[in-house]
Amino acid sequence: MLQVRNASVFFSARDGRVVHALDRASLDIDANSIVVALGASGCGKSTLLNAIAGFLPLSEGSITLDGQPVASPGADRGVVFQKDTLLPWSSVADNVALGLRFAGVPGRERRERAEELLGLVGLESFADAFPHELSGGMRQRVGIARALATDPKILLMDEPFGALDSLTREQMQELLIDVWARTGKRIFFITHSIEEALFLGTTVVVMSPRPGRIVAHFDVDFVRRFAAERDVRAILSAPEFADLYDEIRSLVHRPQAEAESRRMVLQ
Amino acid sequence: MTDLARSGSRTSDPADRPKIVRLHPFGLDGARTGPISLATALLLLAAWFLATHFRLVPPLFLPTPQEVATQFLAVVEDGYAGATLWEHLSASLFRIFSAAVIAASLGIPLGLAMGLNRWAKGVFDTPIEFYWPLPPLAYLPLMIIWLGIGEVSKIVLLTLAMFAPVCLSAQAGVRSLPIERVNAALSLGAGRWQLFRTIVLPSALPEILTGLRIGIGVGWSTLVAAELIAATRGIGFMIMSASHFLATDVVFVGIGIIAAFAFAFSYGMRLLEAWLVPWKGKS
Ligand SMILES: Nc1ncnc2c1ncn2[C@@H]1O[C@H](COP(=O)(O)OP(=O)(O)O)[C@@H](O)[C@H]1O
Ligand SMILES: [Mg+2]
Repeated sequence: MLQVRNASVFFSARDGRVVHALDRASLDIDANSIVVALGASGCGKSTLLNAIAGFLPLSEGSITLDGQPVASPGADRGVVFQKDTLLPWSSVADNVALGLRFAGVPGRERRERAEELLGLVGLESFADAFPHELSGGMRQRVGIARALATDPKILLMDEPFGALDSLTREQMQELLIDVWARTGKRIFFITHSIEEALFLGTTVVVMSPRPGRIVAHFDVDFVRRFAAERDVRAILSAPEFADLYDEIRSLVHRPQAEAESRRMVLQ
Repeated sequence: MTDLARSGSRTSDPADRPKIVRLHPFGLDGARTGPISLATALLLLAAWFLATHFRLVPPLFLPTPQEVATQFLAVVEDGYAGATLWEHLSASLFRIFSAAVIAASLGIPLGLAMGLNRWAKGVFDTPIEFYWPLPPLAYLPLMIIWLGIGEVSKIVLLTLAMFAPVCLSAQAGVRSLPIERVNAALSLGAGRWQLFRTIVLPSALPEILTGLRIGIGVGWSTLVAAELIAATRGIGFMIMSASHFLATDVVFVGIGIIAAFAFAFSYGMRLLEAWLVPWKGKS
């Protein structure tokens, strides 16, 4: 289990002021769950993910993965970035197998595993292509395969589909659910789309900015329903979906609305 | 049915190929400049020919192309100043090559270290920033006093001239590395050496190759200065020696040879770049 306890992060802004990017966030990510962090831009989602990935130390609080404190990046936490970070000089298969190469896995085996993973994300015929020959959605799929290659305990995804068009994005969401259903990986997923959060999450945590805070938890089951029935339309048109959508929508907008009204009073 | 058949034959018939298009490039991105450059060269040659033919410039200042060509053949046949053309050429090439190898094998690792390590940067930044804008001719006398008039002082002079661009570009290569790429590798379990070997080095390679290309160019332009040091062989020496006798045609032969070799090297480096970093500008 991944546990985040009272995690706070303070940055220093360029003018020397202190930015309170994350305020006492606590979170559990259990086996076989997809926890989605949802919030407007600047509310500390990436900060939280970077801390879990080990790219960023916490100012206060703790993060543990299966009881071990998280201090630095490691192959037990696979990361998929919004901007693709594939190596332009390596073929798709070599990119997927990069983590295996770091782990000292021999070339033959690396190739087999890479092909297997490319099959999982539907890119089996692109093993020998180069990243610049692929579309944005395909590159993100390679990124997912690469993060899965080292068999991490958890997959961390920072708005991975944020730069994709909505049609590709829908395909990618379904692909991610398939990967999740087949591998049983736990996933921490960041988005600013309420619909994406509801569709993908087994848990949705809503964050609000200044200071970045988790303001609500929702347990959701649309993703399990989709994995079983594979009927997107039934889910999107379900009344529970619309209700939750509205509830979260008002939550996401509330802190800003309050801030605005306060400012108006001051004026 | 007929439509299908027709459209099928369209792609297979070479005479009726579809019009191939590509994105409008920005800047020059692979546009063909060869014919333009060739035309410019011919134009300059024609101007030279006309200027000398109509005696617009005294022959002592500007020999005719025919004279230069004759002199070139004479130098090829008989050599110049007691050495064959090949001896002059190989002396110069040896100096440039040795200096390039030394400059690269010191400059690349040091530049990478300076891009990665606070101490390396702190220690070496000041001396390099201090010396590299100096013209080689300014510290040439010191080279002679310290190292004598043999091969060593010439090669050291060339090395110093080539070192700075190589070292600075290796540093710039490290600086251009996006942090996300580093983080991605770390979260895939890369160790320090693996990170350097598989991420830092290839990411810096395009800039390093550019630095080498500039370095070799600087080397050729410093060659004449280096061969001022009591040389008896070398293309630079040949030019200097000829100038003492106002043998303008030999000066032209020497300049032509240096230009041809510098051009060939630059072209070779570009081929090397296309081969080693085919992804440059594509990601
Ligand atoms: N390295 C940094 N230095 C200073 N401020 C930062 C830094 N990174 C993020 N911030 C600030 O912290 C807040 C949260 O950022 P982030 O976690 O990237 O938000 P999100 O991913 O939700 O859009 C923002 O106000 C941002 O400006
Ligand atoms: Mg973000």
